[in-house]
Amino acid sequence: MLLNYIKIAWKVLLRHPFYTFITLFGISLTLTVLMVLTSFLDHLIGSHYPENKRDRTLYIMQMRLQDSSRTSNSSGPMSFKFLTDYAKTLKTPERVTITTFINSSNAYVGSQKIKLNTKFTDADFWQVTDFDFLEGKPYNEQNIANGDNVAVITDDLKKQYFENTAEPVVGKDIEIETIHYKIIGVVKASPVTRPFTYADVFFPYTTPKSNYQATGMRGGYVAMILGKNKADLPAIQEEFKSHIDRIPLPGIQDGFKYSVLEVKSVPYLENFLGPLMEGNAGLRTIFFGVITFVLFMLMGLPAINLVNINVSRIMERASEIGIRKAFGAPVRTLVWQFIVENIFITLIGGTIALGLTLIVIRLINTSGMIAYADLTINLNVFIISLIVCLIFGLLSGVLPALRMSKLNIAEALKS
Amino acid sequence: MNERTSFPTILSLIHSFTLSLFTHDLSSVKINLEQKESPCAADCRNLGFVYGSFRTGNVDCCERWKLREPLGFSYQNVWAISLKANQDTTEIADKLQRVQQRLKGYAEVEAVSRMGSNFPFSANQTNNGIEYNKRKVLADFYTTDENFAKTLDMSVPVGRWYRNADSVGKYTPVIINQKAKEALFGDENPLGKIISERFRVVGVVDNFKAKGEFMTNKPALFELAKANAIWIDTMLIKVKPGTDAAFEAKVVKDIASMMTGWSVEVDYLTDSRKNQHNLVLVPIIIALIVSGFLLINVALGLFGVLNLSIAKRRGEIGLRRALGATGNGISTQFIGEIWVLATFAMLIGLLFAAQFPLLNVFDLQAGIYVVAILIAVAIIYGIVTLCALFPSRQAAMIQPAVALHEE
Repeated sequence: MLLNYIKIAWKVLLRHPFYTFITLFGISLTLTVLMVLTSFLDHLIGSHYPENKRDRTLYIMQMRLQDSSRTSNSSGPMSFKFLTDYAKTLKTPERVTITTFINSSNAYVGSQKIKLNTKFTDADFWQVTDFDFLEGKPYNEQNIANGDNVAVITDDLKKQYFENTAEPVVGKDIEIETIHYKIIGVVKASPVTRPFTYADVFFPYTTPKSNYQATGMRGGYVAMILGKNKADLPAIQEEFKSHIDRIPLPGIQDGFKYSVLEVKSVPYLENFLGPLMEGNAGLRTIFFGVITFVLFMLMGLPAINLVNINVSRIMERASEIGIRKAFGAPVRTLVWQFIVENIFITLIGGTIALGLTLIVIRLINTSGMIAYADLTINLNVFIISLIVCLIFGLLSGVLPALRMSKLNIAEALKS
Repeated sequence: MNERTSFPTILSLIHSFTLSLFTHDLSSVKINLEQKESPCAADCRNLGFVYGSFRTGNVDCCERWKLREPLGFSYQNVWAISLKANQDTTEIADKLQRVQQRLKGYAEVEAVSRMGSNFPFSANQTNNGIEYNKRKVLADFYTTDENFAKTLDMSVPVGRWYRNADSVGKYTPVIINQKAKEALFGDENPLGKIISERFRVVGVVDNFKAKGEFMTNKPALFELAKANAIWIDTMLIKVKPGTDAAFEAKVVKDIASMMTGWSVEVDYLTDSRKNQHNLVLVPIIIALIVSGFLLINVALGLFGVLNLSIAKRRGEIGLRRALGATGNGISTQFIGEIWVLATFAMLIGLLFAAQFPLLNVFDLQAGIYVVAILIAVAIIYGIVTLCALFPSRQAAMIQPAVALHEE
């Protein structure tokens, strides 16, 4: 019976090729867009190389100072000293690393210029993150204590800087702004969308120009706190807050008199949404208004579209339903037939969408729009969107079918 | 009309309604693109993510609508060399001057100017309120030296660019741009006037759109840098055409060996300009993709509805054909019907869309909305016609004999 229904569905599809195309196009386009979108979001905020432990990591990205009248603000990264005093001393976490946020520099090979992103980090950086070492090893506490001019570079920089990429470069020399560094490790490059870990070259913080000696509270450093497990995070936040609360208020920093000092250790996404949540109410309303509007349109329109197409497909077959009723088919059989038909079509659309998504993601990854992008398909999202499509398909297919099947046979046959 | 036939009609109404609602958005985004104008960096930063989305996309393009003005300076072959003293704290101003002298010495360098870190197309911005005769305006501040105009090929139609010799007395010599002049002085002659009790105007330049062509032409003020200022640490150099990275490497090497421990970074203004443009264009492109996706969806839905309604009305079509209507006549009838339907939906949509200019949401000129709405209306009729064409051709091909036989 099931096979028969599928056969009928197939024949119905073939009867109106153009119409079938529209149905499948609608379903697969919607699913594709949903999947590409979520895989992109997952790329931005999920736990991926080299921040594989992002789900149990807290980030300290900025310090906010405010004066007593709350009219002027000053915010930005912190100094190495500040983070050493207040974050490195935490007891609860497994490990804390301090690193510069975004720095850039240039290197020159002959008449070629290479734009570089640099990072000054401590030795714990390599434990908190999960960089793949293709060659050599990371620098350790010993290198830092000695103030060695060593560097870890990415495979991509290696390709640009050295002519012969086949032979190992560990132990070789790289010149950046007239300072010579000895390469001690080569890591696989990470995407630019992860600012806490993205760089082309990593230096120990004791190399020149890192400004780790700065004595104020502000500087160019941020921190990542790795908890032993996810459940520990609230305790870590609590402990960090108690450290911050010890700072006497009010105070003066670089000539700025502050009476409010705010430093938070928060999960990754909150770092970036935080300012928006705390921002003024108008901005927040606009932001959420627009997001809701876009989401509503993004979900609502394809849903209406699907309902629409399904309804018209079934209404077109009023006479078929009439004939089947005349020959004694019960309502249940009719509804069941349309359910099978809908599932069948949705699955075809889903398969096409899966293929399309793979192609689009492939394109994004290889296009170089985002350096070293590593988008992947999220199967959960695929299944959920497929189920949503099925629900809409059923609602829109079954309800009219149900109504049709309750029609008078005579009237159904007449049309 | 019985219940069954009214259903598709309602659906198509919903479709054209939603269509009319957000083609406004699409078209306002389009205006943005067509005008080659878009929000300046400050707005971008304030609104953050919000920026990419529909309606906000056209915030602020009103002023630039009529003013498709040039940048006001030339950026070709200009490099910005950012210096950072890091842990070095002694005689910074002196050292900066030595670097500037050194740069002037190269044969490849045509002009050198020293300024703050907010060089053209950079991500940095400084602004302050200035005042003249109770008239106040917020102006972008640029602290530069006497060679700035020469390095960037700026012309000074009124007065002249300041010289180091001008910084005698208690007033700092400043240059303002045309926008600032209009805001502060109106028709008055600004030369020699004192602004905010500390600046004396010595010249007026035309435009200065430091963040690129997409930026609003805002009031700007150029202030002569004090000789001992230590934060005037960016060198703008204009090099001879054809100078390449080999020279750049040499410059970086020379400066770094002169000043131990300093960071030296070179940006080409042409690259920085591209970055600024991407900041503006990427949100618009994303908005276009989203709107395009939604439009396709709506068009697909319309196809379905029309197909159904034509299938339902075969008998009527057959009868009309039998009575002598031509194929074209039938097509025209269906397209006409969908136009009427679209018009109804659009009227409802306009009711909402009209609130934006009326309530002055987003502080935009009404003219922008009017054009956006007109474009949207045109797009809607276009899409609706396109969607109606195929089904109506089908309807026109119905043979009266067959259709009537079925009846």
